[in-house]
Amino acid sequence: MTERLLAGLPADGPIGLVAHEALHGPVPAGGPSLIEAVTASGLRGRGGAGFPSGVKMAAVAGGRRRPVVVVNGTEGEPMSAKDRVLMERVPHLVLDGAAAAAQAVGAREVLVCAPPEVVAPLHRAVAERDRRRGTPRVTVHAAARGYVAGEETAVLAHLEGRPPLPRVTPPLPAQRGYRGRPTLVLNAETIAHVGLIARHGAGWFREAGTASRPGTMLVTLSGAVRRPGVYEVPVGTTIEELVADAAGTVEPLRALLVGGYFGAWVDPDAAGLALDDTVLRAHGAAVGAGVVVALGASTCPVAETARLATYLATQSAGQCGPCVNGLPAIATVVGRFATARTERGDGERLTRWIELVKRRGACAHPDGFARMLETAFGLFREDFHEHARTGPCARCHAGSVLHLPVGDRVGAAA
Amino acid sequence: MALWYLTRAAGAVTLVLLTLTLVLGVLNVERVASARFPRFVIDGWHRTISLLACVLLALHVGTTLLDGYAPVRIVDAVVPFISAYRPLWLGLGALALDLLVAVAVTSLLRARVGIRAWRAVHWAAYACWPLAFVHGLGTGSDVRAGWVTWLALGCAVAVVVAIVARLADRDVTPGVRAGALTALVAAAIGLGTWLPAGPMAKGWAKKAGTPAALLGGRHATTARRTHR
Repeated sequence: MTERLLAGLPADGPIGLVAHEALHGPVPAGGPSLIEAVTASGLRGRGGAGFPSGVKMAAVAGGRRRPVVVVNGTEGEPMSAKDRVLMERVPHLVLDGAAAAAQAVGAREVLVCAPPEVVAPLHRAVAERDRRRGTPRVTVHAAARGYVAGEETAVLAHLEGRPPLPRVTPPLPAQRGYRGRPTLVLNAETIAHVGLIARHGAGWFREAGTASRPGTMLVTLSGAVRRPGVYEVPVGTTIEELVADAAGTVEPLRALLVGGYFGAWVDPDAAGLALDDTVLRAHGAAVGAGVVVALGASTCPVAETARLATYLATQSAGQCGPCVNGLPAIATVVGRFATARTERGDGERLTRWIELVKRRGACAHPDGFARMLETAFGLFREDFHEHARTGPCARCHAGSVLHLPVGDRVGAAA
Repeated sequence: MALWYLTRAAGAVTLVLLTLTLVLGVLNVERVASARFPRFVIDGWHRTISLLACVLLALHVGTTLLDGYAPVRIVDAVVPFISAYRPLWLGLGALALDLLVAVAVTSLLRARVGIRAWRAVHWAAYACWPLAFVHGLGTGSDVRAGWVTWLALGCAVAVVVAIVARLADRDVTPGVRAGALTALVAAAIGLGTWLPAGPMAKGWAKKAGTPAALLGGRHATTARRTHR
């Protein structure tokens, strides 16, 4: 039994405080020892970057001003639903973790940033909990829309009442975050794990997962599987096991998009594929935000890549030249493979242009865009050649398995 | 001897690269682009070529210092007008170098210095180019070799065209526009009178402030032979 976060989940609706405490037991008062426990647990951020959470907590606790804790449940990644599910169904675990982390780093204030649809359930959960002395004040805020709005500095900008745009780091939020204070920004799932580590300790946490990447993780599995949804699995679970959990595939798979839209296209038949960064690295991929999209053989990978590139190009925050000008120009060329005839040198042009946007943004948006495209060109090389020779294929206009929210465009900044 | 030739060649190439950098920078500000050459590509060239200019400039300065012919010290390369060798003309080069370093460093650290400070310093590029240009003509041993002069004048034409295009932009206030155009005309007239009477006339090496010891030396003889 590996379900920890999602253990004892009722068929629908959130777990109330009484049921929650009956299930997990009370949270012991957190102190600085929790930072050591989190460090020893090897917990890494589950929002995408996979940064060691203990290091973040120690950095925030070491600041001169009183820190703030921000629970990042923005989930700007369209194919991810795990944070939403967690906050809606198991809100008290997230709030336990936030309270324990706040006490550990010496914060009196917790800001929860969540998608608008889960703000009300979170409010109810906050109201259910009594505020004892020493517990932090918790406020819930509706997250901004848009792909980059979940980037931690964009979240802070949004909470401060400014447009949700990423800024250049350093200074890191741990140094200068919300209103200039040292800020612990943790993804909602990450902080729920902290809530469990506070109860059961680092050793217990390490009982699941691998030695270098311990614990369980939430995965949002979608696409050509029989039962798409959010699954909790130990880190290091193979893709095969994950797909089996979802009752198998509905058709042969052509590719997997792993990590998120900023992630990588991976060959589903690659041997030993597992949800572990140390394994995925060889495939140019990372677990990222725990997103796995299964692309069925009936879908055109070129068209899907083109749609994804176009979507990501519209999601630039509009701050950095190479991202604002580069992404749409690149997406236009990729689009030619799926919708019209390509021009001479388009393939070479793409390789050259992609190099020009890497590491050229305030945030990693251009880099994620580049990674997604480069892995697509690697895996779908034959398909791209075929499209260059004969134009769009019959499957190009088939429905997309990708969710591409319309109207999420971030307001462009000057 | 080889170093001295390398110095002069690197200087000439640096001027060409600085010219390209400036023209591409203006193209970028003016949003000149096409489907084949979108803005971020032109921006990429601006960046790459400017860094290349810095490398060539390092070569230019490095070979000058290593070469034993002209008595130029490291400090002369960065502090203007104190050199024993053609102090004024070398000093302009030192000044251009300082400005270029400021522009390059703020660009590389743009994320840290902030966009406003970066932009303010970046304006210095417009001062850097003319300084480097006049330094090249004044210090250069090659002005009397026709094609070098033509190359320099070609660069000047490219820069003038770019600046006029920049001045035509709506974001330029009439005062700045009038001032800049006046400066351009004055510079053209100044160059037209100075060049034939100065670097292109006989005896410039002495007038420019070359130490007397060097004037009758081996290199000078070779240089004269080369220039005929």
